[in-house]
Amino acid sequence: MTTDMLSVKGGTKIFYRGTLDERRALDGLDVALKPGDFCIVIGSNGAGKSSFLNAVSGKLPLDSGQITIDGRDVTRLNAHRRAQFIARVFQDPMIGTAPTMTIGENMLLAELRGKPRSFSYGLTAARRAKYSEQLAELNLGLEKRLDMQVGLLSGGQRQSLSLVMAVSTRPKLLLLDEHTAALDPRTAKLVMDTTVRAVEALQLTTLMVTHNMEHAIKYGNRIIMMDAGKVLVEIGQEEKNGITVADLVERFHTKSDAIALQGG
Amino acid sequence: MDVFNSFYGLIPVTIAQSLIVSFVVLGVMLPFRILNFPDLTSEGAFPLGGCVCGTLITAGANPFLACFVALLCGFAAGCTTAFIHLRFRINTLLAGILVMTMLYSINLRIMGRTNIPLFTYDTVFTILAGPSANFPWTKILIVGLLVALVLGAMLYFFMSEKGTAMRAVGASPDMAEAQGIDVGTATIIGVGVASALSATGGSIMVQTQGFADVNMGFGILINGLAALIIGEAITGRQTILRQVLAPVVGSLVYYQLISFCLTLGLAPADLKFATGAFVLLMLALPNLRRSGGGVQIREKIRE
Repeated sequence: MTTDMLSVKGGTKIFYRGTLDERRALDGLDVALKPGDFCIVIGSNGAGKSSFLNAVSGKLPLDSGQITIDGRDVTRLNAHRRAQFIARVFQDPMIGTAPTMTIGENMLLAELRGKPRSFSYGLTAARRAKYSEQLAELNLGLEKRLDMQVGLLSGGQRQSLSLVMAVSTRPKLLLLDEHTAALDPRTAKLVMDTTVRAVEALQLTTLMVTHNMEHAIKYGNRIIMMDAGKVLVEIGQEEKNGITVADLVERFHTKSDAIALQGG
Repeated sequence: MDVFNSFYGLIPVTIAQSLIVSFVVLGVMLPFRILNFPDLTSEGAFPLGGCVCGTLITAGANPFLACFVALLCGFAAGCTTAFIHLRFRINTLLAGILVMTMLYSINLRIMGRTNIPLFTYDTVFTILAGPSANFPWTKILIVGLLVALVLGAMLYFFMSEKGTAMRAVGASPDMAEAQGIDVGTATIIGVGVASALSATGGSIMVQTQGFADVNMGFGILINGLAALIIGEAITGRQTILRQVLAPVVGSLVYYQLISFCLTLGLAPADLKFATGAFVLLMLALPNLRRSGGGVQIREKIRE
């Protein structure tokens, strides 16, 4: 049996505990991903998808529960320490890159993610050549603009750059937080295609949050539906083949209605 | 004309002064522009450096050692401000004011009185230049070399792997954290280094003016900000080279302007008002231009 690449056991996070506003963002969440899994996370607003991703990345420390990455317990590690295992693409293109720094500098920051940084010169000629090569795969011409400020790029270009920055280090875990939601449909497709190519080529274990049901069906090998901070439905590889958007919506509603009827 | 003659005569003295203050301007630029951490600690770190240095020199310490200890004290002051902000989530400006206010008492305690004359003691300048220590051009040469050294070091650092990471903290803290950068530590060290620069400026200042005074920092921050704004208008901010040069260029230009205004007859009493009005105008200008677009006040201050 192989070790899980990501395992969350009993993950619980409660905001405003003990007050009238108490809200269970994560409520005994259990998730396990095998190496190479491309898992889609769906669920309505407030279901806990973002909390799940933030808990995994370390941005949101759990109240209780355990998180391991490739067998290593990371529950108590800060976000910046977990970055050695995790790469992340944010929904907002403005957050995932440093706008006032150049494309080359952003690539440098990503290359050294989770590694010791030295006092030696950063953007060496060898690195520039490597970054150009990595960026050329996007076909956006970014490879010729290493010294351009990232803030001058369009949202789609920035998100594509974010993606290259995330995957180029072959992280153990790739977190995609609705990373195409802020883009126009054409750009979103472009970024999504690049995502799939990279994830497949590098066999990256991936968690992708999306509101787009078509994406949920089309991409990945597993689907997790979340509700009220828990996994509501899990759909594996076999079941996922041939499923339609209508099926998905129906299953989601049946389940959550059933829970609502139970008073849960 | 008389006015211009006296202005020309003052140019070397003013250059020497502006080079010394450019340490403070660098100390203002670093938190503001690189770390996106508006910081007021300089106002207290500058006299702190002066008081520590002056006290040590009168106690018989080597002037170089005195400068170094002043630098360390400044570093500690800056780290304290950053720590207060990060640990207790107090606004950066308020954290700076708290430290600055407390430093006033500390400075008084260090000196034991409000003013220490240093005329009779050896300074860095008398050691390096002997009898010509008091000529403006001697000061310009010595301080100029030091400024060049600091600029080179800063430029190299900000292009190194570590320095790139520190700049990322200011550019996008979320992104920096996701790239494995310890945002808190980088902020503390960065603000610490900035205050260390200001304190170094203070320690050099007391040795050129011949005394240390507990009130010597009053208004230095706004002067520094004015110089920074002028410098950035001249050099721009597009590259790290321009950003690092701006404080020194700005300081050189700003103090000549002040000197010119004073020789033209501006009353010294009105100087702080004029400087404040200038900074206000420069900060307000971008918002004045796009008037009519509704009120859209977004301070660039985290927390």
